[in-house]
Amino acid sequence: MSLLAMDQMSLSFGGVMAVRQVSFEVRAGEVFAIIGPNGAGKTTLFNLVSRLYDADSGSLHFEGEEITRTPAHRIAEIGIARTFQNTELFEHETVLHNLLIGKHVYRRTNLVAEFLFLPSVRRQEIRFRREVEDIIDLLNLQHYRHQVIGNLPYGVRKMVEVARALCIKPKLLLLDEPSSGLNPEETEDLSFWIEDINEALGVTVIMVEHDMNLVQRTAGRVMALADGACLAIGSPGEIQSHPEVLRAYLGD
Amino acid sequence: MRFVRKTSYDHDIRLFRHQGQMFWFGLLLAAVLALPLAIDGFYLGELSLVFIYGIAGIGLMLLVGYTGLVSLGHAAFLAIGAYTHAWLLGQGVPFLPSMLAATVLSALIGGLVGIPALRMTGIYLAVATLAFAIIVEQILVHWVSVTGGFRGMAVELPSIAGYDLVNAVPFYYLCLAILVICLLLALNLLRSPTGRAMRAIRDSEISAESVGIHLAYTKTLAFAISAGFTGLAGSLLAHRIGYLAPDSFTLITSIQLLIMVVVGGLGSLHGVIFGAIFIGFLPQAIALGRDTLPASIAQIPGLEPGIFGLILVLFLIYEPLGIYGRWVKVRSYFEQFPLYRKATHRRQKSYLRTERMR
Repeated sequence: MSLLAMDQMSLSFGGVMAVRQVSFEVRAGEVFAIIGPNGAGKTTLFNLVSRLYDADSGSLHFEGEEITRTPAHRIAEIGIARTFQNTELFEHETVLHNLLIGKHVYRRTNLVAEFLFLPSVRRQEIRFRREVEDIIDLLNLQHYRHQVIGNLPYGVRKMVEVARALCIKPKLLLLDEPSSGLNPEETEDLSFWIEDINEALGVTVIMVEHDMNLVQRTAGRVMALADGACLAIGSPGEIQSHPEVLRAYLGD
Repeated sequence: MRFVRKTSYDHDIRLFRHQGQMFWFGLLLAAVLALPLAIDGFYLGELSLVFIYGIAGIGLMLLVGYTGLVSLGHAAFLAIGAYTHAWLLGQGVPFLPSMLAATVLSALIGGLVGIPALRMTGIYLAVATLAFAIIVEQILVHWVSVTGGFRGMAVELPSIAGYDLVNAVPFYYLCLAILVICLLLALNLLRSPTGRAMRAIRDSEISAESVGIHLAYTKTLAFAISAGFTGLAGSLLAHRIGYLAPDSFTLITSIQLLIMVVVGGLGSLHGVIFGAIFIGFLPQAIALGRDTLPASIAQIPGLEPGIFGLILVLFLIYEPLGIYGRWVKVRSYFEQFPLYRKATHRRQKSYLRTERMR
């Protein structure tokens, strides 16, 4: 059964059709890449899945349940986490705090308990911290734990964002151009981490990516988009030699 | 430099990071507790006022400094707290329940104001809260049967279980105790999930939403909590000024509260206290200055708000992190003494942020 299924979804901004009748399915456990030229609608597609945008038509199902109209703040709870293209971290907070915010959906304490910082709140904080430390170890962020995001280099910020998404313990992780702004070494590390996240943690990954090397190495299937429409879905090799895709990238 | 050796996660959760901090805060507490022995009633009264401003400032700081929502109408919550408390005391309700009721009512009204404010941020929100404050001011003027209108209303003398708090010394201790309790509550809130969610909203609403934070709920809650603290401060303020009239809670009061959190240092509770000392004593300093200045300058009408405004502008330009920011810089200069680098606290341009949504 598919983990995520988008069926005939469309979205337009005024006269611009950003997404036209796109349908695709992502199977549990795979790494699914979305490629396409600038303005193809890749990020818009992500925003539809993470429910930041409302689609004009079509439907969206996650684990067989319809989430076409689920409010955006419920998306993390049902198991979808995401990163942003230009990173959207909490700039004035430390790495640790950013990751702890990723634990927000697991809080079980009420306001009164928090005001008094009852033992239950303290226990919860320590549990969160322990789980966050596992993610820090996985992504090698130990050095940066107590640093404020505003002082970190871009590559590290990108990884902190991935870490924050993992703190949600998602079933599905959406990575929006994870390698943009990374140097070759960092991109190399990233490909291993994506494999680890996928295989060791069992997280299904959808990524928007321009770096075809990275796509080839990590993704099982690829969808090519152009002008908001789906051109083809297939293995990375198939997509790279697909005539329609070549035309979209290179012109006639 | 001090290195803290951490052996458990609890070390990062504790309120005091190390023994030294505990010592200095303990010393500070002992000093303020012993102060009534050293200074006379007038200055104790002024200090009580500083504590009251501090309580209101905690409320405003949670909203402005930690949730990133600006309010130009907090004088209204001060007024709601003050009038509710005074009216309930007049009806024969005991002191503490009345104070609690004033806090809860302010919080409820704060929550209600928060709801329409959800659609607004920045300057629009500031104007909306300003409008709210003006409405409240008009209600105070026209609801004569409760508020006494322009004539105002007298506040009953404070007493808890028959013990009089009229004198400066017991009132000073009352304000101090409530301030310390409020500080602890705020610190606790800030180190638990709700406080983190508030700060997340301040830094990026869009990613707060995608990690599962309910924006509307959290913002409303922040408004309610903020209004609650401010209302509580209002109920103490009622006793401090003794006689309530609508012109005690005007736009100038709201702006003073905002100056307090900005000058103190946004995003820190230290800043609240620094700011409260600042706006508590600045009018005294101006009054003292008036005596020494030549009459042509000292008699200018509106000198006080003018100086307040000037100081706010100067802080925004030269020290946006406020007095607390300056304090942190001075402290780290001494901590790292020969090694301090000027660039340590330089403001950095942040990277491009996603602006394509909303």
